Amino acid sequence: CNCWLISCICAGEENWVDSRTIYVGHREPPPGAEAYIPQRYPDNRIVSSKVGYCPHPHLFHQVAQLCSLIIDTPTSPITSGLPLFFVITVTAIKQGYEDWLRHKADNAMNRCPVHFIQHGKLVRKQSRKLRVGDIVMVKEDETFPCDLIFLSSSRTDGTCFVTTASLDGESSQKTHHAVQDTKAFHNEQDIDTLHATIECEQPQPDLYKFVGRINVYHDRNEPVVRPLGSENLLLRGATLKNTEKIFGVAIYTGMETKMALNYQAKSQKRSAVEKSMNVYLIVYLCILISKALINTALKYVWQSELFSDQPWYNQKTESERKRNVFITAFTDFLAFMVLFNYIIPVSMYVTVEMQKFLEIGEGPLVNTSYLNEELGQVEYVFTDKTGTLTENNMEFIECCIEGHVYIPHVICNGQILHDCAGIDMIDSSPGGSGKEREELFFRALCLCHTVQVKEDDNLDGLKKAHPSGRSCLYISSSPDEVALVEGIQRLGYTYLRLKDNFMEILNRENVIERGFLFDFLQTNIFKSHFNILYFTFLGEIFLFCKGADSSIFPRVAEGKIDQIRARVERNAVEGLRTLCVAYKKFTSKEYSSVQKHLQDARLALQDREKKLAEVYEQVERELILLGATAVEDRLQEKAADTIESLQKAGIKVWVLTGDKMETAAATCYACKLFRRNTQILELTTKKIEEQSLHDVLFDLSKTVLRHSGSLTRDTFSGYVEISDSDPGSNWTSEQWNVVYLGVCRVALADRPIVKLIKLSKEHPITLAIGDGANDVSMILEAHVGIGIIGKEGRQAARNSDYAIPKFKHLKKMLLVHGHFYYVRISELVQYFFYKNVCFIFPQFLYQFFCGFSQQTLYDTAYLTLYNISFTSLPILLYSLMEQHVSADILKRDPSLYRDVAKNALLRWHVFIYWTFLGVFDAVVFFFGAYFLFDNTTVTSNGQMFGNWTFGTLVFTVLVFTVTLKLALDTRYWTWINHFVIWGSLLFYILFSLLWGGIIWPFLNYQKMYYVFMQMLSSGPAWLGIILLITVSLLPDVLKKVLCRQLWPTETERTQTKHQCLSVEQSTIFMLSQTSSSLSF
Amino acid sequence: MAMNYNAKEEADGHPGGVGAVAGGSGVAPGGVGAGKSRKPDNTAFKQQRLPAWQPILTAGTVLPAFFIIGLIFIPIGIGIFVTSNNIREYEIDYTGTDSASPCNKCLNVSWNSTPPCTCTINFTLDHPFESNVFMYYGLSNFYQNHRRYVKSRDDSQLNGDNSSLHYPSKECEPYRTSEDKPIAPCGAIANSMFNDTLELYRIDGEETRTPIHLNKKGIAWWTDKNVKFRNPTGDTNNLTALFHGTTKPINWPKPVYMLDSEPDNNGFINEDFIVWMRTAALPTFRKLYRLIEKKDNLQPALAAGNYSLEIAYNYPVHSFDGRKRMILSTISWMGGKNPFLGIAYITVGSICFFLGVVLLIIHHKY
Repeated sequence: CNCWLISCICAGEENWVDSRTIYVGHREPPPGAEAYIPQRYPDNRIVSSKVGYCPHPHLFHQVAQLCSLIIDTPTSPITSGLPLFFVITVTAIKQGYEDWLRHKADNAMNRCPVHFIQHGKLVRKQSRKLRVGDIVMVKEDETFPCDLIFLSSSRTDGTCFVTTASLDGESSQKTHHAVQDTKAFHNEQDIDTLHATIECEQPQPDLYKFVGRINVYHDRNEPVVRPLGSENLLLRGATLKNTEKIFGVAIYTGMETKMALNYQAKSQKRSAVEKSMNVYLIVYLCILISKALINTALKYVWQSELFSDQPWYNQKTESERKRNVFITAFTDFLAFMVLFNYIIPVSMYVTVEMQKFLEIGEGPLVNTSYLNEELGQVEYVFTDKTGTLTENNMEFIECCIEGHVYIPHVICNGQILHDCAGIDMIDSSPGGSGKEREELFFRALCLCHTVQVKEDDNLDGLKKAHPSGRSCLYISSSPDEVALVEGIQRLGYTYLRLKDNFMEILNRENVIERGFLFDFLQTNIFKSHFNILYFTFLGEIFLFCKGADSSIFPRVAEGKIDQIRARVERNAVEGLRTLCVAYKKFTSKEYSSVQKHLQDARLALQDREKKLAEVYEQVERELILLGATAVEDRLQEKAADTIESLQKAGIKVWVLTGDKMETAAATCYACKLFRRNTQILELTTKKIEEQSLHDVLFDLSKTVLRHSGSLTRDTFSGYVEISDSDPGSNWTSEQWNVVYLGVCRVALADRPIVKLIKLSKEHPITLAIGDGANDVSMILEAHVGIGIIGKEGRQAARNSDYAIPKFKHLKKMLLVHGHFYYVRISELVQYFFYKNVCFIFPQFLYQFFCGFSQQTLYDTAYLTLYNISFTSLPILLYSLMEQHVSADILKRDPSLYRDVAKNALLRWHVFIYWTFLGVFDAVVFFFGAYFLFDNTTVTSNGQMFGNWTFGTLVFTVLVFTVTLKLALDTRYWTWINHFVIWGSLLFYILFSLLWGGIIWPFLNYQKMYYVFMQMLSSGPAWLGIILLITVSLLPDVLKKVLCRQLWPTETERTQTKHQCLSVEQSTIFMLSQTSSSLSF
Repeated sequence: MAMNYNAKEEADGHPGGVGAVAGGSGVAPGGVGAGKSRKPDNTAFKQQRLPAWQPILTAGTVLPAFFIIGLIFIPIGIGIFVTSNNIREYEIDYTGTDSASPCNKCLNVSWNSTPPCTCTINFTLDHPFESNVFMYYGLSNFYQNHRRYVKSRDDSQLNGDNSSLHYPSKECEPYRTSEDKPIAPCGAIANSMFNDTLELYRIDGEETRTPIHLNKKGIAWWTDKNVKFRNPTGDTNNLTALFHGTTKPINWPKPVYMLDSEPDNNGFINEDFIVWMRTAALPTFRKLYRLIEKKDNLQPALAAGNYSLEIAYNYPVHSFDGRKRMILSTISWMGGKNPFLGIAYITVGSICFFLGVVLLIIHHKY
């Protein structure tokens, strides 16, 4: 809400400082330390229930409401108020309930006890009383009450294990490290003597980034400064595991914790349907205002003669006569507004809300139900490759060392043999130096990773039996690395563990080698993991480097580059993921200078990343290339089928990848994104250097023009490389449009390209699907973000609007559910406008016959209940149940998706058609009744009907027509539909009988008494009702039939075809039954 | 009609099994709704797999419907049209705007003119009115449906509520009180009650004027007369006492308890009054005034011949450009003369039939 933003800005002005300084345990630093800027921090209370209730966007109605209280309204305040009241109540109840749940959860959270350290003693307090700077003790299996800097742990090595399942859904345990200088403080008394300050950045929502430093004061010495990173930070919401207890100091509390910030930062996406809805609403608002204006003007024209304004039989009261003309004109205008306000379908919002609430979520985990219909409108799909299109189930295929290819003997009867003897040497055995390099290579792969070893065999998941019988499980956020480590294990080298910075590996001779890990760098540029490791091995210091070819080759000075490059390229064409490995030796002198640089860079509070990158750049020069690996990532089941279907559905599929063109192309051929006849447009840096981008595109558009007649949609595909230098900003939408399917190598984040297409001229609806943390930005940017609950954690799923387990589910989600949701919601929107036009337009016409006096045509009860009960349920049910084509067919025939593309059912001409249909029907109702009643009697006893009978007749025709119109549109009749449609008509009749059947004691008017019954006793009224309903429905039926016959859409063809088919099938089925019964 | 029932069976698994993923809403503290499984119940309804009937509107299915509608509507229309044409109706405008009209002298009559201005209009019926004749008065340009007018009444008062009798609703303003006494019946509608008296005479030969008996009962809805409208509770034989403390509407010459001599047609349950109180839908309207019942089966209710209408002209309409009419009409099962319904039925029927033919051609050609 805005309120939050404003308070944020205000707070920001008050104390806008880049970093915050925290006194650990509230102890002031020795004098002489930097000037301290006092800051106010929030307490540790979490308030996730919304502060204020923002009402519906219908300010207008509230104004109308207000008016109705001030002015003399044509309808009683209850009449116009009730629907609004209903709307507000329903929304308020829904929101209030959700809020209440949140509030309850908040309270439980805020009250739960926390252990503080105060004056060397352990104190229990409520969580909400926690302040920044407090030292907190957390026991095993407890959740951290706020964001803490990890000071010490009960484990001697100063580590602790944490699961962040409730934060990002990753259930694996992560290791966090205590600050080096404080990890010795093991009990309350010790920790109380700690004298330190922490400087860190102001809270920000990124869960995985943290920059800070700690100054530890020892007596009177200069403080010891240590860098703090995200490995020292324990986040609120995470849970402590396998560690008895830890001590930490609170740095972010309450609403400033990363968890709370994340919760707030999520923005609401709005769907295209909702946008159209609002546009239509504005149109109707204009219609409403102009109607009121016209009527007011006409009223004064009509009243200009005194005998019209105040005939002797209908005098005004004294006070009315004295009123100023302009004031009366204004109140008249407002009264007309109140009278016609039903044309704005307030109840539509309630119905939409209810529909979303009740919508049956099938399978996918829905985070944002407001986007359901958007699934039927997708034009661009951006998909991540690894883990989305592919299984992310890596398998080590081969490695190439110094040009020699090693293939671990792999599959035998579908089982993986862990056999170190099974190495096929394709080339001849390497010589002595080769042997050394080979060992180095294996060691490099064995060490250069972030894989953790789980020695816990009761963990489910992938289990790996160690050759020596010990059960161990490799865990990593990147399955690549696991595959490599496992692959190397098969080649004889086993990574055992990392303990106290010593890494242990088991080499081929079954000897455990231990080496000291000096430093460990991981960069994640260019989406290709790039790990560097310093390690002493036999007294030497090595730098091992593993990364994508594009990042390794430029840094390599030595090694059999050409041979390896050839092999890498060959593998890339086969669609394998390749990584190169290189190393470098350091002397201890060189190493210490590197060490110093690194330390400097790490202590920086500002631009830390930039500085680090500079240091890395210096260090990683003149590497010696060792070899390359190839890992296969199989395509997901039915990925090809899914892509093909999406393509047939007219959706442009872009694969965003960090892979080389060859790898990408191979995958794309495999998943049918590219075909044999596809003309691939290459837009790589290399090509653009040869030919300017403009020329390439110009050629392309020429080709397109030439083929315009015979152009099939899969003729063109593109491989676009977007690098830092070319942000692709000078691309126009036409050029993007040409490329139906694309592969895009994205150097930066995924975001720019998604944004680019999203903002292009036609504003296509984009969908992004991905599984990893690197896809989050794309998922958030696209109109619809879908996360795959895959192996790279739950971050994508958490940030997405929908989460699905496999890529293949996208097909059903878009083609079936998206289609259904869209058809349902668009019918709902149009129908609501239609039925309110039908409802209110006769009212408007009646003003011409009642001296523009705002006389209502219908009774108060009818006005109130029309949208609430007489016509609300059928459309609600329709919006939940309708299946205009069966789900199977939608799935089988993706081209049907094109029928609803580009908001087809909510375009202007459709909207105008519905509105005109509404106006036509209204005219039929009104003038039908007019001519029926005109100056004659319609009863067989000669008695006359009054204005309420007139209104009731119009209303009866209205309710029947509107309901039957929906019945005609319904393609899927279950017993519930029958029940609701016929039920609501029956309800109308029963209600009217009851409403008119009794003198209601609590009402001061009895105008409806026996009106309905009297009407039903008249033959012409029956005939008139039947006639008018027929006439009102006729044009729509005719239009439908003619359109279906002459210009059928794909969907309609399918409907017809399917119907014939199923009839035949059932006949055949019957025949076969008969024959079988005969034969037995 | 080509429709089919198919119990849908979806062999293909929907992307289920995600239900196990808890806490979709992410970092909400305590994970609101995290506990409950998102997997829908496996009922046919939730899975949207109920057996369904899936009709489609195609030319083939609609064709017969069009023909049937055509074939049903046209005869009905013809029937109605013929019935309507057989109805006899005779209408006299007695406003008197025309200077030649006998009622011209009364044109600018006011409410309280005593004695009333009377005028007589002679007319001739060329055809006999065989069945019961209904006598109406009609007003034009009279906005009985004006909002200020429609609501200017107190239904509780008219229903015999004693407290409303003495404290009428505010809606009745400015016809609520007169000389500090509550008006009974209050409101603009009651105040402006039609008070012309119409009498019908048959002229046989030169001088013999036989009055025609006009029945004033049975002109209001039965429910109105017996339920909705009631005199104040108490001794109904002494209406004067019942209405004590109230005053007559300003424009009325007599109080409400003197509307009629018969006690069951006096006070609020006077049928003329009830008829007037049912506000008309349109500014041109007619209201039932009297019934002329057929005396025996042999004679028509009104035989062809000369008649004279005697009017006690009390009701001013000239000031608002209104017209007054007297209508004599016979009634069929479908009410008065109204060619609209018949013509509409015939037209719609023919259109449907025609469309049916067009659709048939289209259906076979395309």
